[in-house]
This record gives sequence, C-alpha cells and structure tokens, in this order.
Amino acid sequence: MSMTCEQLLGYLSDYIDHELDEELAADAHEHMATCQNCRVVLDTTQQTIFLFREQGRRVIPAGRRERLFSRLHDAFQRRNLISG
Amino acid sequence: MIDQATQAATDSHLIALRRGDEAAFEQLFADYADKIYRLAIGLLGNDEEADHVVQDSFLRLIEKLDTFEGRSSLGTWLYRVAYNLSIDFIRARRPILPLVEEMEDDDSLVAPVILADWTGVPDRVIDDVELTESLDAAIAGLPEIYRAIFILREIDQLSVEETAAIAGISPGAVKVRHHRARLFLRERLAEMWFSQV
Repeated sequence: MSMTCEQLLGYLSDYIDHELDEELAADAHEHMATCQNCRVVLDTTQQTIFLFREQGRRVIPAGRRERLFSRLHDAFQRRNLISG
Repeated sequence: MIDQATQAATDSHLIALRRGDEAAFEQLFADYADKIYRLAIGLLGNDEEADHVVQDSFLRLIEKLDTFEGRSSLGTWLYRVAYNLSIDFIRARRPILPLVEEMEDDDSLVAPVILADWTGVPDRVIDDVELTESLDAAIAGLPEIYRAIFILREIDQLSVEETAAIAGISPGAVKVRHHRARLFLRERLAEMWFSQV
C-alpha cells in the first residue's frame, strides 16, 4: 500500500533518523521517488537539522566563563573548608 | 535509571568531588558548563539570566554533594536543575504559561506550507552572522516545551531517555515534541529564505 503525503509527514523524523522498520522505510522511499513536494520537505528538514547542529553549539563567551568558573571554584573551596 | 558504566563513572566522580578534588570540579565544569548554558540561553534568550542558571545549577550541586544519591548521572542532574531554573525564569516573566496538556492534546503537525527548495540559500547568499541571527529568530519562535527538547535532542544530541529524564516527560512525548520542533523550524526557515531561491 502506498503512503500518503500526510502519513509520510508523520514518519519523517523516524525516516531521517533511520528508525522506521524496513517495510515502512521502503514505502516512504517509494513515495518520495514520485512526490516532489515531499522530497523538498525531506531535503529542507535535513538541511534545517544540519544548520542547527553546525551553528547551534554555542559556548559561554570566554570572559564570562572565567568569571563563572572563578565564583564556583570559590564556592567549591568554601564547601571543602566547611566539610573538611 | 542509568547504566552500569555511567553509574561507576558517576560514583567515582562523586567520591572525588566529595573529598574536595579540584581537578574533578574543573572537569565537571568543563564537561557541563557550556551544555547547560546552551539550554538556558536557548530557553531564555538572555545572557544574564543564562549565566545565573549556570551558576545556580553548579552551586546547588556543590550544596548537595554530600546528599546526592547518584540515581541519575551528575550531567543529567545538572541539566534537570538548569531546565527547572530556566522554566522558573520564564514563569516569573510570564506567569501564565500554556498548559503542557493543552498543547499535547493538539496532535496536528505543522503542515508544510512553503515547498520551495531553499537548501542552497544559506551557502549562497547568507553570511555567518545573518545565519546565526536567522537560526536564533527561528528557535525563539518555538514554544518553550518544544525548544528545550530540540536543544537537548538535536544540538546536544542526548538520547530520548536522557532528554525525557531532564524534562520530566515520557520518551514518547520527547519524540513527538522533537518531530514537531523540526517541522516548525523547517517552516520558519522556509519563510525567511524562500524568496531567495
């Protein structure tokens, strides 16, 4: 039985993450071979994921990171004095 | 529940921290400060509040070192505290958050509206600064309950189970929210970029 666009949308993340069973994956693959719109949704969703994974890994800016560490390190040392 | 290897690592790290081992503390900060900052800044969009979340999460761990039971890993525990502190900040700003149950009842997916293929646009016409701003704007439009799940699952690439433990929801709900977040963000980026295809 061939998959509809709506069904494909529901399975899209599982398809991208390779979590669909073989039969459903084959149905999804078959659907996308003939449905240009779903192909575009797949490609642009994968590009969305790629962009966030590449660009989203922000870190604490260096100066603020040092100040935070210094305050927390002091608190850790105080705790050691009290429990030591 | 954590696996045996994680349990052993948690136990030995905890023993080192309890005896005041500074290298163990430095390692803990190096391993988790940026991660919980990423969750906090993603949820709050405010540097000062995000720094507070990082600071208070670690302070709470320092306070609880002697009573920490180790049922979860130190990392999961820190993430969970940071998540709850971030939600507290959001509630302080906006006391009436939509009920999670109401949002979960709506099982419709974000149906794709814009079907232009913009995959080449970021490389072709957008510089890094503009790209970062676009991604920040897109993620800021996500409801908080989806935003946290997206950050944990997609950006930090935590497992479904660990994400569920941090957010206090079922693994099934994590999968649903993650899927919806992806579709929502795809649509927002398509709105921004389709005219440049």
